[in-house]
Amino acid sequence: MADTGNAVKPSSSVKLVLLGEAAVGKSSLVLRFVNNDFQENKEPTIGAAFLTQKCNLPTRTIKFEIWDTAGQERFASLAPMYYRNAQAALVVYDLTKPTSLIKAKHWVAELQRQASPGIVIALVGNKLDLTNDGIGNGADGDGAGSDDSGDARKISTEEAKTYAEEEGLLFFETSAKTGYNVTEVFTAIANAIPETSLKTTRGPGASHAAGRTEEQRVNLNGPRDPNAKEGCAC
Amino acid sequence: MESVSDTSWDVVICGTGLQQSLLALALSRSGKKILHVDPNHFYGGAEAAFSLQDAESWANEVSAKDAGLFRSASVARHESAAGLSSRSYSLAMAPTLIHARSALLSQLVSSRAYRQVEFLAVGSFFIFRLPQDSAQQPALIRIPSTREDVFAATTISSKAKRGLMKFLKFVLDYQNPPQLELWQSHAEAPLTEFLQQEFKMDAELQTYIVTLTLSLNGKITTRDGLAVIRRHLSSMGVYGPGFAAIYPKWGGLSEVAQVSCRAAAVGGAVYMLGAGVQAVETAGDEVKLELSSGDTVKTRILVRADDNPSEQTGISRLVAVVGSPLTSMFEVVVEGASRPAVAVVAFPAGSLSTPAGKASEYPVYLSVHSSDTGECPVGQNVLYLTTLSTPDSRQLLEEALEAFVGTAGEGQPAQILIQIRYEQLAGSGSFQPEGPVITFPSPSFSLSFDDSVLEPVQQAWKRIMGDAAAESDYMSFADREGAMDDDDVYE
Repeated sequence: MADTGNAVKPSSSVKLVLLGEAAVGKSSLVLRFVNNDFQENKEPTIGAAFLTQKCNLPTRTIKFEIWDTAGQERFASLAPMYYRNAQAALVVYDLTKPTSLIKAKHWVAELQRQASPGIVIALVGNKLDLTNDGIGNGADGDGAGSDDSGDARKISTEEAKTYAEEEGLLFFETSAKTGYNVTEVFTAIANAIPETSLKTTRGPGASHAAGRTEEQRVNLNGPRDPNAKEGCAC
Repeated sequence: MESVSDTSWDVVICGTGLQQSLLALALSRSGKKILHVDPNHFYGGAEAAFSLQDAESWANEVSAKDAGLFRSASVARHESAAGLSSRSYSLAMAPTLIHARSALLSQLVSSRAYRQVEFLAVGSFFIFRLPQDSAQQPALIRIPSTREDVFAATTISSKAKRGLMKFLKFVLDYQNPPQLELWQSHAEAPLTEFLQQEFKMDAELQTYIVTLTLSLNGKITTRDGLAVIRRHLSSMGVYGPGFAAIYPKWGGLSEVAQVSCRAAAVGGAVYMLGAGVQAVETAGDEVKLELSSGDTVKTRILVRADDNPSEQTGISRLVAVVGSPLTSMFEVVVEGASRPAVAVVAFPAGSLSTPAGKASEYPVYLSVHSSDTGECPVGQNVLYLTTLSTPDSRQLLEEALEAFVGTAGEGQPAQILIQIRYEQLAGSGSFQPEGPVITFPSPSFSLSFDDSVLEPVQQAWKRIMGDAAAESDYMSFADREGAMDDDDVYE
C-alpha cells in the first residue's frame, strides 16, 4: 500500500468482516494484507481480532477496519455482532477442503439475510500455493496440508466462480502464504463500495460532500482540552 | 474443545445490556474465564437497537410474556411503508446522549474501545412553544447555545438576557463559597423556584434551563439541576465547537454495548445468545446455573441485572420514522462546527393536552436523529419521544408527534412511516452483591447518560478481581497489536 503522498484525497472508513470455517487462513490473509507477513502453523484466533489498514485508490483513501473472527466459534453468537453495519465481508474457504466451501455458502446466505442491505461480499478461495496452478506456489510446495502429488486442489475455480457469479459476489483465489492476489482482494472491495455509502448525501450541499463522513465523525482522541472554554452559555 | 459444562468459569454474565457489557470490557484483559450469555437472540438488552423486523418480533415477544421491564409494545407501519427495507433501520431502545464530560467517554478512551465507535455531534435544543394568540402558529424556539447566541437571540428581552448571563456565570463556579450560599438553602427545592427567586427568571427562561437538564418530571431539584447544567456547560466545546454532547452512530448505547462485548470476545470470553439463566443454586463457593440452552454450568460469580419491576413507575416511549430530511433541525450554528446528527425538542409541562382537554403534567422530550446516525435511510429521520408514564402519556406522545411534524416539516407535514410504542418500567433499583451473585440495577431512564450507571460496574469488577484490583488499572488498556492510531503511518 504505497502512499502516493496525495494529501487531499477524501478518506473514508470501511468496516470489513472476515468469515469462514476454522483454519482456512482468514487471519493469514489479514496478516499478509496488513503486515505483508506470513506465519506457518499460526495459532487459531480466539474470539476475534481487530486490525486496520489503509488502501489508496486513485481518487480516495479507504481505511479498512477489519474484524477477523474465529472460525471455530461455538455458538454462532459472535458473528452477528461483527457483520452488523459492516460495509464489506470477505468469506473465505480453503480450496483444498470441500466442506469449507459449504460453510462459506452458509455465511453468504446469512449475510444476505441479516447484514446491511448494501454489503459488498467477496468469496475468497485461499491456499492456492497448495495447488499446481503454477502461480503463487512456493518452489517446494510443502505447505501444511499439501499432499505428495503437489496438487491438493479439491474445488475447481469454475465451480466457485459460477457460484460467486450467481450470488453477485466478488471472487478471488489467493495464497496468503505467497501473497498472491491478497492485495487485489482488498482493492477490489474498496472499489466496489458504492460512493454513496461512503459519504453523507444530504439535500442541499451534497454536491461538495465528499469526505463528509470523516468530517462529521467526532474525534475523541483529539486534544481533549481539559480547560475547554467554559464561557459558553447554555 | 472443552464444553461449557466442563469449564469452571470465573464469571458468568447474564444479559448484554450496557452495564453487563461494560463489565465484560473491564474484564477483557483479566485472564478470567468468562461466559457471557443473553436470553435474547440480540445484543444490548434494554439498550438494544432493532431493524424493523427485530422490532416487530421483540414487540410480539413483549406482548406475549407480560413480565420483565417492558409492556404494551407495538409496531405500526403506515401503508406507504410496506416496501421499506427492514435492515436499513437501527432503531435505538436507549437513544441516550452522552455529555463530553461523562466518565463513560473517558473509560471508552482509556480502554481503547472508542476506536470502534463512531460518535456524532448532538446539536441544538429546542422548545416547542404554543402560540400566544390565535393568529400565531406554534413554533420551535432554539435555546441559545453560546454567549454570542444569547446576545443575538431575538426571542429574549434584554432584561432576561442579563438574568441568563448572570446565571450562566454563577453555574460555572457554583460549588465555591460565595455562590454556595446562594443556592444551598434551596438545594432540595425545585430548580425553577430557585431560578425565579434568585435570578428573577420568568417562566419561559426557567423552561429553557429545565430543558437543558432533560429532567423527566420537570421538577429537578436545585442541587441536581445545577450539577447537570454545570456538566452541560463544561462539556460545550470539549470535542469541537458548538456541541456539548455526542451520540454513538448505529443506535446509541447499543453500539457501546456491542463494542464492549467484541472487546471481551477478543480477550477470549465465550458468547451465547438465546441462553438465559433459568435456575441458580449456590453450593459453597460455587454457583451452579441451569441455562435455557439446556447446559448446566459452574461459576465462581454470577452477574445479572434486575428485571423485576418493583414499582409501577416508568416511561412511555414512541419511536417514529418520518419520511422527511427535516434539514432545519440540524443547522450548523457555530462557525467551523460539524453538522450535528441529533437535535432535542422539549414540550414543557402544560404545552400539550389530551383530546379531552387535560394538560400535560410532565415534559415530553423528542430526540430527532438524522440518517447520519445510521438509524434510518437518507431522507428520513427517527424521532424518539419520551415522557413519564401516566394514564394519558401515550396520548400525549401522539399529540407531541403530531405537533412536531406539523411544525418542523418543510412546508408540509412530514409523513409518518413507522411507529413503535412501548412502556418501560423501573426495577428495584439498587446494586445488590449477595455472596457470589451480583445483581445490577435496572436500566436508567436518563435521556443524557448518567455516570452513576458506571459505579455498579466498577464495584462488580472489584469483587471479581479481589486483591488483584488496582483502581488505576480499571478500564485502562493498551491498544492491541494491529489496531493502530488514526495518525499512524500504515506503510
